[in-house]
Amino acid sequence: MKTQAVIVTGAGGVGKTTVATALALTAARAGRRTLVVTVDPARRLADAIGIELDDEPRPLPGEPSLWAAMLDASGSWRAVAARHTDPETARRLVESEFFAAAASHFPASQSYAAAEEAANFIESKVWDLVVIDTPPAAGGIDFFTAPGQMADLVGGRLLRLLTGGRLPGRKFIFERTARPMLRVADSILGSNLLERVAAFLMDLRTTYDGVSRRAAEIEVHLRRAVTIVVTTADPTPIREAVRFFRELPEVASRPRAVIFNRSLPESWAGAEPPPRTNLELVENLARWGQEAHRQAEARREFAARYRARVTSIPWLAHPPTDVTALAGMLGQAEGFDLEALGI
Amino acid sequence: MTQTRLVVVSGKGGVGKSAAAAALALVHQREGQKVLAVDMLGASGLGAHLTAGKPGSEPSEIRPGLSILRIDRAKALVEYLKVQSGVPAVGTFGPLARAFDALASTAPGIREVVTIGKVLWEVRRQVWDVVVVDGPPTGQVGGYLRAPKTISELVPSGRIRQQADWMQSILLDGKITSVMLVSIPEELPTTETEETIRWLEEAEVTAAPTVIANRVLPELKTSAAGRGPVQEAAALHRSLWADQQEWLARLRPARALPYLFGLLTPGEVAARLADSWMET
Repeated sequence: MKTQAVIVTGAGGVGKTTVATALALTAARAGRRTLVVTVDPARRLADAIGIELDDEPRPLPGEPSLWAAMLDASGSWRAVAARHTDPETARRLVESEFFAAAASHFPASQSYAAAEEAANFIESKVWDLVVIDTPPAAGGIDFFTAPGQMADLVGGRLLRLLTGGRLPGRKFIFERTARPMLRVADSILGSNLLERVAAFLMDLRTTYDGVSRRAAEIEVHLRRAVTIVVTTADPTPIREAVRFFRELPEVASRPRAVIFNRSLPESWAGAEPPPRTNLELVENLARWGQEAHRQAEARREFAARYRARVTSIPWLAHPPTDVTALAGMLGQAEGFDLEALGI
Repeated sequence: MTQTRLVVVSGKGGVGKSAAAAALALVHQREGQKVLAVDMLGASGLGAHLTAGKPGSEPSEIRPGLSILRIDRAKALVEYLKVQSGVPAVGTFGPLARAFDALASTAPGIREVVTIGKVLWEVRRQVWDVVVVDGPPTGQVGGYLRAPKTISELVPSGRIRQQADWMQSILLDGKITSVMLVSIPEELPTTETEETIRWLEEAEVTAAPTVIANRVLPELKTSAAGRGPVQEAAALHRSLWADQQEWLARLRPARALPYLFGLLTPGEVAARLADSWMET
C-alpha cells in the first residue's frame, strides 16, 4: 500500500490547522484511512476533535477512518540527539548550556524534527493518507528546506566558520593563542566561552551521519507530497502564499491549490439594501461589502497571476466546535474537490 | 533635553505589529516630539507603513521629527567588533566576523545583545524624545529583552559583559523602557499574549507590558430579521463582535485600535490607526 502525504502550509493565523483537520476529515469520510498530524492546535480546535492529542496517533471517536496526532516541536533537538548519536554524547548535548540557544536560533531544527516525525508516519504504511500541518515557528518555505539546513548545521558549518575552514580536533581549537582572530574574540567574549562552544559543536557533529542520511530521505517525502497553501485575503498572508507559488517548485513541487479562508460572499460587494433599511445596517453592509470586494479582487488576481486552483471557505460566524461543523466547513467551500486536487 | 523613552512593540505574526508600531511613531511625531522608529530585525513592514521604502542602517529623517532606522544584523555585528576589538583593519573582519557570527548562533544572548545593543545605544545618545521599536515577534521578544541578563550569567568577564550591565539598567528602568504587546481578539493571539506577559513578569527584565488590541470591531446595535446581504452581514458582524468580547475580556487592552475595512495601502493603515489613537 502506498501512503500519500499532503502538506498544508501558509502564514500563521489563517486557520491552517483547522483547514488541515477539515481536509483530513473529508478524505476519511470518503473512505480513506487518514492521519492528521497537527502542531500546537488551538484549544477550541482540540476540543472540536474531541480527543487528547499527543505524538501517538489516536482514532477519533465516531470516525472509523480518521486518526490524529500532535507533534511537540519544542522537544525536537532532544529527539534528534537521542536518535542520532551515542547515549553519552546525547546526554552531554542535552545538558549543554548552548543547546537551547542553538535550538532557538535555528527554527529549521523544529521543522526538521516535525518533518522527521511525519516521515516516520508516512513510512509506517498504516495510512492511505497523512495530512501534515506545518509548524508556525518556521513558517513559509523553511519547512521544506529544513532537512538540508539541519544536515549542514550539524555537519560543522559553525565549526568550520569558527576555525577558519579546517575541521579541527579538540586539541587544535584549544591552541587558540596561535590564532590572533580567536584571541580578539576571546577578549570580547571573556573567559573560556570559545572553548565551551567548540566542545559543544564537536559533540553536535557526531550526529552528522545519522542526520544527513535521514534528511535525504525526508526530502524525498517532501518532494512527493501534495502541497496546499492556506491564506486569507489579507496582504501579509497573501505575500506568504505568493512565496510558496514562486519558490516551492524549486525545492519541492508546485502547490496543488490555494485555499482562501474567511471568505465573504462576493454578492455583498455593491449590494443595494432594500429601501427604508435602518441606517446602521446600511453602513454595516457597505463596509463588509468593501471587504468582500477587496477579497474577490485578491482571489482573482492570485488565480490569474499564479494560474492557481482557488478554493474559498466562507467566513464562519462561529468557529467549528465539533467534527460535524469541521466537515461542514469544506462542504460549504466553493471549488473544493479532493479528486481535482489529486488526493 | 529630557530622558529618551524606549517603547518596544511586539506581537504574534499577523496581528498588525508593524502597523501599530508605525502608528505609535506617527502619534509621537504629530505631538511634536523627535522620534526614531526602528525596524529591529531588519525585515518588517515598518518602512512600508511609514511610506519610507526599505530603511537604511543609519537613522535618516523621513519627515520633520521622524527618523527611521533598520538594524542589519551582519552590519551591527561588524560594527560591534570594530568598536570593541579596537582593530581598525577591515581585512581582519572577514574571518573574525564569521567566527563571531558562529559563536553568536550558538552561545545564548550574544546575537540578541548585539542587535538590542544598537537600539539601546540610540537611547543612550539622548538625541531622541522617543525610540519606537518594531521588535521581534512574541515568540522571540523575551530572548532579546533577556539577552543582557543571559550574558551576565554566561560570561564572568570580558568587554561584552561590561556592555550587558549598562543595557540591563536601561531595560529595567520603567521610566525609560516600556513594552507594548499588540494582539487581536482571537484565541491564539490572546493565549500567546498571556504567555508572553507571564514570561516577562517571571524573567524580571523590564517593567510590566501594556496590551494593545488591534482589529477591534465596533458594536452593531441594530439586529435584522429576514434574509439577504443586509441580514447576513449583520449576523456575521454581531457574531464576530460577540466572540471578540470574550477575548477582549482576557486581554484587558490599554487601547483598542479599529478594524479597518476595504482596500488600504500600508501607509493609509498606519495613518488611520494613528488618527484613532489620537482620538481616544
